[in-house]
Amino acid sequence: MSKDSIKMELNNNQIERYSRQIVLKEIGGIGQKRLLKSKITIIGLGGLGSTTAYYLAGAGIGNLKIIDFDYVDLSNIHRQILHFTKDINKKKTESAFEKLTSLNPDCNIEKIDGKIVPKNIESIIKNSDFVIDGSDNFSTKMLINDACVKLKIPFTIAGALRYHGQIITVVPKKKTTCYRCVFGNITEEASGMSCSQAGVIGVIPGIMGSIEAFEAIKYLLDFGELLTNKILFVDLLTNQYNYINVFRDVECLTCGDNSNINLMDSGSEINDKC
Amino acid sequence: MSQKNITELDIKGKLCPMTFVYTKLALEKLKSGDTLNITLDYPPAVENIPENCKRQGLAKILDIKQLKDDIWSISLEKI
Repeated sequence: MSKDSIKMELNNNQIERYSRQIVLKEIGGIGQKRLLKSKITIIGLGGLGSTTAYYLAGAGIGNLKIIDFDYVDLSNIHRQILHFTKDINKKKTESAFEKLTSLNPDCNIEKIDGKIVPKNIESIIKNSDFVIDGSDNFSTKMLINDACVKLKIPFTIAGALRYHGQIITVVPKKKTTCYRCVFGNITEEASGMSCSQAGVIGVIPGIMGSIEAFEAIKYLLDFGELLTNKILFVDLLTNQYNYINVFRDVECLTCGDNSNINLMDSGSEINDKC
Repeated sequence: MSQKNITELDIKGKLCPMTFVYTKLALEKLKSGDTLNITLDYPPAVENIPENCKRQGLAKILDIKQLKDDIWSISLEKI
């Protein structure tokens, strides 16, 4: 992020638009200008990604890169808040682009129609200040993890299924526990089910996606506590919010002391997003 | 010794919370020890601006004056 960020001036429209954030002690005009200069990449525009994108655009993140290969389906709409009934069969990137630019014209949206794969992920995320995972499958989450650790870009990975969610933030420069340290080489087969099979209540990706958005904001403005070296598990059925401490694995294939990241070994397919 | 600057801010016509928003943005541009003199006409802001400045540790309250029936001035020193 540019050190010049605080030299820009907020116009009257921006002062009004972001007034409720500027009032906050930790944000102010200086923080708001920093957000307007920030670059965030959101991978997947389903339940998690569309919620994250909505709040980040609303918060005034100046540059959002959004990626998805899929088309809006009727079964997505109960949880994927950027997509409306009129958008069925539209590309999710197009649907999201329309809503986000309408939501906040300050936000420059770059849309990428396509799958995130080992071949393209580094060029897509390389200039990002933060990366958000909005995918619903382990192979994509591992790919995001591995590429972000390799490029030392901070990121948040979340998951949502049925009534439950979990989330972790990783800051590679601080060598915090990475997603692979926790989940190893878990695969879709080992994990069991996706949203389409297990079901998901719409609010759970909404909640987890909202937390992802605030993790990015906290990182960018350097305040509060991040969900690093711990996983937050949310169980909305019983209203339990539990933190599990997790530790960096010195033998982790991604961030371990002798790791040598080869993205071609990481997973690569985004299926239908939660 | 560095020069202490005095800046004037007219926020007549602004309501809360915009009165504090404009005050905060003006204070951000000042150096520690500089003075901000605010003119305002929204009565609740006469309490809200000093209270929020204290709570956020932004400024010391130097003076609060009622200039006319519906006009006040608040002098702040940036912390």
